[in-house]
Amino acid sequence: MSRAWLAILAAVVLLPIFVRHSIATEIWIFAIFGLGLNLLMGYTGLLSFGQATFFGSAAYAAGYLLKYYGINVFLALATGIAVGAVSAALVGYLCVQRSGLYFIMLTFALNQMFYFTAYQWTTVTGGEDGMPGVPRPSVLGLDIHAPLAYYAAVALLFLLSLWVMRRIVESPLGKILQSIRDNELRAEALGYNVPRMKLAAFVVGGAFSGLAGVLYAMLFGIVPLESIGFVFSGNVVFATLIGGSGSLYGPVIGSFVFIWLSESVSAIWARWPLLLGVAFVVVVLFFRGGVVEAWARFWTWRAAHPATRADASR
Amino acid sequence: MPLVSTDRVTKSFGALVAVNAVTLAVDEGSLHSVIGPNGAGKTTFFNLLTGQLAPTSGRIVFDGRDIAGTPPHGIAHLGIARSFQRTSIFPTLSLLDNVWLAAFARQESWRGLAWRRTDAYPKLAERAMAVLEEVGLAGKHGEPARAISHGEQRQLELAIVLAATPRLLLLDEPAAGLSPDETKKMVALVRKLKGRYTIILIEHKIDVVMSMSDRISVMHFGSVIAEGVPAEIQRNAEVRRAYLGGIAPP
Repeated sequence: MSRAWLAILAAVVLLPIFVRHSIATEIWIFAIFGLGLNLLMGYTGLLSFGQATFFGSAAYAAGYLLKYYGINVFLALATGIAVGAVSAALVGYLCVQRSGLYFIMLTFALNQMFYFTAYQWTTVTGGEDGMPGVPRPSVLGLDIHAPLAYYAAVALLFLLSLWVMRRIVESPLGKILQSIRDNELRAEALGYNVPRMKLAAFVVGGAFSGLAGVLYAMLFGIVPLESIGFVFSGNVVFATLIGGSGSLYGPVIGSFVFIWLSESVSAIWARWPLLLGVAFVVVVLFFRGGVVEAWARFWTWRAAHPATRADASR
Repeated sequence: MPLVSTDRVTKSFGALVAVNAVTLAVDEGSLHSVIGPNGAGKTTFFNLLTGQLAPTSGRIVFDGRDIAGTPPHGIAHLGIARSFQRTSIFPTLSLLDNVWLAAFARQESWRGLAWRRTDAYPKLAERAMAVLEEVGLAGKHGEPARAISHGEQRQLELAIVLAATPRLLLLDEPAAGLSPDETKKMVALVRKLKGRYTIILIEHKIDVVMSMSDRISVMHFGSVIAEGVPAEIQRNAEVRRAYLGGIAPP
């Protein structure tokens, strides 16, 4: 097992000791959300500014079925993944026809469309008040109402998601998506149907977002209207960029930094988004690869300056 | 029977006729060069063959099938591979991945597309290393493509094209922007491919074209003004006019 996996396992085990359980759970949920976006943004070079569309749609659909039909957890997860994938297929089909700024604006505009649908459709979504009363049924007789139990379940699903995403980015599809990011014309000339490959990235990314959406609904027992709003879409882009887009672990680190900052600093300092803004500027100006790149650069720098290391140990 | 032929293929952009009723046939295994001054329509002609552009009129027949208007990825699956005038590679990927992707695209089945690890395709890896070897870049297979020199990048693009196991090779000025030394290397590489592949070559260096080609077509203002074996082209008065400052269209 690689060092990165050991570090993540350690984080999964240690996090609930240091951080409130609900926050710790939210970190891994947001990380799953980020994994999905990263396939689009980091690996395929598609800046989707509408990921909340898939997150929110899945949360509403699964939340509704949980609340009114009492479906079991597995069905709820499957619903979320399916709704995430299908909504991403719809949105993706329209968006992959365009590129650059038009692509970004389309993902954003379609996100707004879904948002206002949720806002207006009060009989189902509860509109501005959100959809409260989403239950958290037990899994195979195991009660997951206790925060720590739910944390464990989410952490397991996160590890599974990370493993699946690793398989995908290391598969031929992952390579093809990266080649499209690098040079669309060349990928096409080699025989790859570029729009279809981009659509595949959308669907997979949407499935991950959908999974995160259901877990989020079950975590707080409510689907808030914001979960389908553009701020949420922006947050996941933000978190992924800070962590490092285009590297497998980037969105995981980004999610940790983002959720931890927003939950812990916001309690003591109302203007905490300022801090995020500064972090964002630093990343864009100096570390385009986010924390992951900063980390790698630090180690190459250490290796290139053995003298400083000796000084430090003295 | 020719492997590829065009019949009065035309492409116009509004009032501009970039490629004007070009008829040409390339025999299997031969090297056919297309020469002509800048703006003669050579690259546009390539773009028609590879599906980047759809012809306004005319037919393009490859291996007995009319392929005009087929999208580029479809053309690639038929076994037509091209190099671009401006180097077109995958800069952040390793040299090996660059050629591996070309080899994978031509697989009969894409099993394991989203799940198998890329190193679980031993035949592809072998083929990828073989073509890197052929262009002399095997020693750098792990380096990202952006890290090698411009000359090496042009060699890499040739390797990408070869890894696609093409039946027809379209080379658009493979020696563009190369130093005299690098040019020599590239010419030697292309010469090695002659006979093994059917090649259409766009090139400006007349001596290279004259010494290598089986047949040559000369384009000027979108039309083919002459076609023949190198010796015929050399004698052709119209060709001299086109190259030696004759601006009037034929």
